[in-house]
Order: sequence, then structure tokens, then C-alpha cells
Amino acid sequence: MAHSQDKHSALGQGVTIFIYLAILTLLEYFVAVSFNATSLLVVMAVSKAALVMYYYMHIYKLGADDGADPHSYAYKTGTNRFGLWLFLLSDGFVFAGLLATRINLLGFTRPHQLSQILGLGVTAVLLISSFFMNRGETAMKYGDRKGFMLNTAITFLLGLGFFIGVIFVEWRLAAAEGLTASFGNPADGPMGAVFYIMTGMHAFHVLTGLIFLYVVWNNARKGVYTAEKHWGVEAAAVYWHFVDLVWIFFYPALYLIGTAV
Amino acid sequence: MKNMNPFWRGMLALLVFSLAGYGVGLGLDVLVDGKVNFSGPVPGVFALFFGFTAFFLGVFGYRGITRGLVWQVVGTLIGGLFVALIRLVMGLPAFGDFFFTEPSWVFGGLTGVLSFIVGVGVVDDWIKWARGLDTPEHHEEHYSDWRKYFGVSVDHKVIGVQYTVTALLLIAVGGLFALIFRTELAASKLQFLTDQTQLFGQNGPQLFNTLMSLHGMIMIVSILLGISGIINYVVPLLLGAQDMAFPRLNAFSYWIAVPAAVLLLSSLFLGGFDTGWTGYPPLSARAPVGMQMFFLGVFVAGWSSVLSALNVLVTVVRMRSVGMTAMKMPIFVWASVATSLIALTATQFIGLSFQLVMFQRLFGMGFFDAAKGGNPILFQHLFWFYSHPAVYVFVLPGLGVISELLPVFVRKPLFGYRWVAMSSLGIALVGFLVWAHHMFTSGMNEYLRVPFMYSTLLVAVPTGVKFFSWVATIWKGRISTPTPMLFALGAIVVFLLGGLTGPPNATVSTDLHLHDTYFIVGHFHDTIFGGFVFPFFAALYYWFPKATGRRMNETLGKIHFWLMTPSFLFLTLGMMYVGLIGMRRRIVDYDPALLIDGWHLALTVSAFLIAISVLVFFYNFFYSIKNGEKAEGNLWHSRSPEWQVPSPMPVHNYDRPFEVVGEPYDYGLNDAGYVKFIESAGGKHG
Repeated sequence: MAHSQDKHSALGQGVTIFIYLAILTLLEYFVAVSFNATSLLVVMAVSKAALVMYYYMHIYKLGADDGADPHSYAYKTGTNRFGLWLFLLSDGFVFAGLLATRINLLGFTRPHQLSQILGLGVTAVLLISSFFMNRGETAMKYGDRKGFMLNTAITFLLGLGFFIGVIFVEWRLAAAEGLTASFGNPADGPMGAVFYIMTGMHAFHVLTGLIFLYVVWNNARKGVYTAEKHWGVEAAAVYWHFVDLVWIFFYPALYLIGTAV
Repeated sequence: MKNMNPFWRGMLALLVFSLAGYGVGLGLDVLVDGKVNFSGPVPGVFALFFGFTAFFLGVFGYRGITRGLVWQVVGTLIGGLFVALIRLVMGLPAFGDFFFTEPSWVFGGLTGVLSFIVGVGVVDDWIKWARGLDTPEHHEEHYSDWRKYFGVSVDHKVIGVQYTVTALLLIAVGGLFALIFRTELAASKLQFLTDQTQLFGQNGPQLFNTLMSLHGMIMIVSILLGISGIINYVVPLLLGAQDMAFPRLNAFSYWIAVPAAVLLLSSLFLGGFDTGWTGYPPLSARAPVGMQMFFLGVFVAGWSSVLSALNVLVTVVRMRSVGMTAMKMPIFVWASVATSLIALTATQFIGLSFQLVMFQRLFGMGFFDAAKGGNPILFQHLFWFYSHPAVYVFVLPGLGVISELLPVFVRKPLFGYRWVAMSSLGIALVGFLVWAHHMFTSGMNEYLRVPFMYSTLLVAVPTGVKFFSWVATIWKGRISTPTPMLFALGAIVVFLLGGLTGPPNATVSTDLHLHDTYFIVGHFHDTIFGGFVFPFFAALYYWFPKATGRRMNETLGKIHFWLMTPSFLFLTLGMMYVGLIGMRRRIVDYDPALLIDGWHLALTVSAFLIAISVLVFFYNFFYSIKNGEKAEGNLWHSRSPEWQVPSPMPVHNYDRPFEVVGEPYDYGLNDAGYVKFIESAGGKHG
């Protein structure tokens, strides 16, 4: 059946892209621990971002032909999609501003108190959650409600794991190592402030993403979405991938680039 | 009570509840402080909250905006008490100088805004969607009379009017503040804002600083609301759309600005702040709690601007009529797109810079604290990355209004349509590359100065394109000068003055002298009046009949114009003169040896003349809504689609769709017109 073949190849593409992303992430890690190559890390982060934006967030759909009838669901979805991407562009400026702040204040240094293993761990968890999100959205696209709910539940749990890992494990460990926002050793400079604001702002977006995931999961349970009409699912998925996209830049910015001081 | 005029009922409630709030605040002060302080900040802020809310209760009852405000007050108190409780548990002092401590006020301010949003009812449909329930595409209005403006409506025309009226009210507040400190400046030495003055926990000079700072930001917010008002009302009509792309988001964008305005005003009572509207640290890291309310208010108002810009962009891209290709869009639509591109993206930077200072104050995070390795200059970069492009957000729609109106009143095509359209985008683009020209004296790296000087001077090119087009459009036209046209012409003159006085500020060598003087104040008031205020008035006089079916009084309109324009020109040119002599900006007093006392007196008089002219406008505006001369047809003989149907605009806009068949500005040429209505299309919602 052509239909199930399509679904299979769509899921297969998700796997392939995930493998690329995983390899690139591991490469980043080994490049960073082996030698100081900021430009290489930037290139790899941009490559990962491009893969996520194209294959997971389907940015090309912005140029899709939505038909001529402005009252059709397809046309309205196209309008919604454009609005969502503009929102992400706007939100992206917040994170760009934080990156600019980090570059200005820290330059080619990074906090030495962070646990490299934990950093790689939470990054992997978020990346895997993006993989399951893609599977969930693909399932919904082919009308597989059960598959969607299962994959979204896994995504939700992994996202929750990331949130707990950053806020309740990494923050505690870093603070115990002496990386504090304010009252610690003044010799740390603004390291702590930058670390906590970047991870905090990102974690806030993870939290809102989790709420969206719960909402679409719950609505799918009630049978609100169909293979043709599931804009809510697409929006939640694209937003979730966006949260991952931000982390693709924040992870090297906080853990990998420059020398640990 | 029942038979009373709603407005006076509101005023009565305002008076009674302000006094009640003042009493409550006084009581709380006694409870926390143990002494009675009649001019203290706490009674003031409670009087503001209570009185403001009660006014709308009297006018409208416990619905819509009143419910939102009540919820905001309650939400603020609950949030503040929650933090106070946590502090108590942690063994910290639960209450501070302003009843609550600073963290309480910040958290309470935030919960207050969220409570307002829920209370006013603007997120009802979204909550239903989140619960998997469907809602109708269009809601029937609860009211068809004036009351529809006091509650949530998703009709872009209603929202446009809400934005516009709110902007006018804020202009009045900001103008009042200006008059107060302008009066203090009428002579050297301290007149009535002296060291002995005590109000809201501030002495006279501190009060001057607060009013001066709030004047800036309240006017900025009012400008943002004003352009949103015109854009919201006009753009869907120009495109032939039923509404904006996201009507609920549109309502949300408006309603979130209301609690933001309340927060901004509350900073006056909570100790004020003395940084000017720019809020530079390290001063802003030390200012009283009012600083935090200011930051929070601007942050929330910024979201209003971001979401409204998003809506405009999507509407223009997705909702145009058949045949309206990019190069056949009305020029005002182009201007709206350019302004929205900036507002959508750059606004996040001012939000971020203010947030970082808030965190610095709350948690001691040292972003801008040099003692902790932070960098105060970084704040200025983040801040100006928005706040310079922001002036293009303010003026681009106004310049669009000028280009839109001129062809109508000279009966000639707009000269160089394509160039004018592209010049808006050009200004928006170059506007992103000029921010550091505000920082020539800040101590930033010196090699940055020259590139930013040249990029700034580059702005003159696309702006010059616009002037060239205006002059060439007027050239040999059949000019008629009703009030809207007068304001459009006045805008060109004033904006030209603002433009010509720009390059001396952008050039490093001259800026080192001019920086922080009244020359700058004169310059930017010229740009903002020429780019926003004059075109805003022009747009109001021009589209007023479309919204109401009546026109404003011409004689009063001309009095408004001829009183305001010379007074304003004198005011700003005089400001530039005293600035060149050495008058610093943002200070309460100046040296009599500068010999500018006489000048300052004259400037104060002209400021009052402007205020009188605006009062004439207000009278005209509110009087004409009900009593103006009827004007239901194509009053200005415009080719634009919205004037091809009767006024006031029907609820669902055009009853049949139109097709674009010609050029928008081919006045005086024999052709079929710009748009043609499609007769045979089935259904109302085509």
C-alpha cells in the first residue's frame, strides 16, 4: 500500500536525520575536549540547526501552495504556520540577545564548574525527545492516533527529564562547585549570571513546550485531531523542535567553546 | 444613580474610590510603619488602583475592562502577599518601604497582568481550544453602541478605535507630565519642585526626574498604541479583508497594553525613578522600586507591539484581495510592513535588556555591574539595538500616511510609487545598523564610531527618496487644504526640520558637543511630531468619517493646526538654540548665567499653547462623534476601496469582495479606478 510506504519512508527519514544529529553532537563533544576549535563548533552547530529546521520543523512548508480558497482548513493552516514562524523569529531574537550577552561578557572562556558528562547527557535527552516528537507528528499525519499519543508521551517524559536534569541537578551541582549567580567568589566574574540566565530562559521555554505537549496529547485522547486536520499537533511539534534548536546553540556556547576558567 | 450620564457616574466613582483607596493605603502604612504619612507612596498607589478601576465600574459596570482591572488589583495583592509569605518563612523582612518589598511588587505586578488578561476575558477562546472545544469563528457583539469599546471585541475596527482612544488618553497624561516639568523650567532656580516638596516619597527634584522619565516612556507607549490603532483600523480595509489574520491575538495585543499602562503609571507612586526613559544601569540598578514597575510595564507593552506586528505581517501576506500584487498595495500597507518587521524582531532586545537589569536588582546577577565583572556598555548596545529602530517604528506609518493622503488632496498620482515603497523597507533595514550612534560618548570602542556615523548618515538616502516623492507629487497639483491635508503638509515641514538637524548629531565631531543637550531634545521632538503626531492627526481627521459617519468640525480643525504648528516650531527651534548655548537635558535647574531664562519662559508658553490646541482637538473629536456634520459618502473623493462603500463601515466590512483592476494612485487620469467590486460572488464572507 502506497500509504503505509509513505509513512515508512517518512519515519525512516526521521531516523536518518536523528543519526546525523547524534553523530554531529558526539563530534562536537570530542572536538571540544580534544582541541580548541571554535569555528569548527560553530559550523557543526549551524549544520545541526539546518537539519532540524528543514527535516523536523519543515520550514519548506512555508512556501507550500495552500490552494485558492481562503476558507479552507489548508489555507488557514498555512496562515497559522506563517504566524508561528514569525513568532519563533521574534523569540529567536531573545536567545540571540542572550548569546550576544554571553559573547560580550565571557568571550573565549566558559565556566569550569560544569559537568561535561551531565551536559552531554541532557543534550542527548533533548535530542532524542525531538526524534520522538518527529515520530509522533508523522504518526498523526497518517492518522495513527495511538502512535501519536505514545510518541508524544515519550517526548514529554524526556522533556521533563531534561528540565529536571538542568534545573534540579545541574544547577545544584554547579552551585555546589561555586558557580553562583551573585554572592559567590567575585573572581568568577559574570559567569554564573550568564549561565543561569541562559539555562533559565531556555528551561522556561521547555516548560511551556511541555504544557503544549500535554494539551495536544490530551486533545488527541479526546479525538480532536485527524490526518487532515491537526494544526495543533504541528504547532506543538514545531515549537518543541525550536526549543531543541535553541539548545543546539546554547550547549556549545556554555559547555564547549573556549577555555574553562 | 441609574439615570446619570455614565461618564459622570464614572467620575463620581473615581472620586469616592480614590479617597477610599487612599484611606486603605494610609491604614496599611500605619500597620507596617507605625506612623501616618499623608504624602507617602502607598496611599497614592492604592488611590490610583482603586480610582482607575472605579471609574470604569461607574461607566460600564462590572464587565470587560472593569473586571480586568479588579482582577489586576486582586492578582497584584495575592502575588505580593505570596512573596511576602515566602520571605517570612525564609526569615527575611516581609514588608518594605512601599508596603511590599521589591520582589513582592515585581511578582505581584506580573501576576496582576496575568490576572487582568484572564479577568477581562480575552483568553477565553484559547482556553477552550486547549481543552479541545471549538468556538465560532465570529462572535456576535454583546453591544452595538459605545459599550462595545469597553469589553473584549475581536473586530479589528473596534480594536483600532480602542487602541486610538487609549493612545489619545496616554498622550494627554504624558503631555500633562511635560507641562508640569516645563513649568518648573520656566525660570532658573527651583520654583515649586523644591527640596522641601514631598510627594509619593520623593522630593521636588526627584519628582521632576520621575515625571521627565515617565513623559518619555508614556509617550512612546502611546505612539506604539497610536500606530497600532491606525494600522488595525485601516490595513484590513485597504486589503479588502474581513478582519486581521488572527482576531483573538489582535484583541490580546490590545488588552495586554492596558495593564502595562497601569504598571507604568504605578511607578510614579512607588518612589519613582530618575534614569530617564533609557533606564541605563548602574543608575537604574539603584533607583527605587518604581524602576522595576517601569521595566515590567515596558516589557509587557513590548509584547503588545510584537504580537500586533506579527498579526499585521501575516494579514498583509495572506489576506490581500484578488489582483492586489505587491506593487499594487496602497503605500500605507508597505509602511505598515516595514514598521512591523522592526517591531517584531528588535523589540525583544529592549525586553531582554530590561529583564537583565530586573534580574540584576532582584538576584544580584552582575550583568551590568562592573564590580562583578559585568559591562554597563553592554546594556546600551542591547537597549539601542531596539530603541533606535524604534523611532522608525514610530515614524514609518506616519510617513506612509503622508504618502497616502497627498495624492488624494493634490489629485495627482503618487510620484515614484515603487521607490517610495522600497524606501520604507530601506529605512527599516538600515535602521538596524545604526544603534551605536547614541553611544559616541559612552566609552565604547572608538573604532566603532566612524562606521556607525556613516551608516547613520545613510538613512538620509531612503528618507530623501520620500521627500523627493512628496515634492514631486505636490508639484503642479490641484491642491486643496482641508484639515487632514494641512496636517500632512505640516508633517512634511516639521519632519524636514527633524531630518536636517539629525546629521549634526550623527557626526562624531559635532555630537561630542551636542550629546545630552536640549539640541537633541529639539531634534527628536521634530522627528517624532513630523513622523508621528502630525500624520496621526491627519489620519484621525481623514478616517474619522469612515469610523463614525460624521466628520470633525473644519474650523476647529484649522484652529488646532494653526495654533499648534507655529507654537511647536518655536518650541523645538528654541530648544535647539538653548541646547547649543549649553542647556543640558534631563535636569531640573540651570545656571542663570547662561542667560536663557527668557527663552525658557517663552518655551513654556509655547508648550501651553500646544496643549490648548490639543484640547481643541479633544473637544472636536468627542463632540463630533455624536454631533458632527454627517459624512456618509466618499468625502475626500478617494480611489481607495474603503471610501467606495458608505460610512460608517459595516460590521463585517465589505459585503462583496473586490478585485484590484488599476493602480492605487492614478488620480486625474482617465481609467477604470483602483478596485472593482465583484457582483456575482455568493455569500457575505467572500
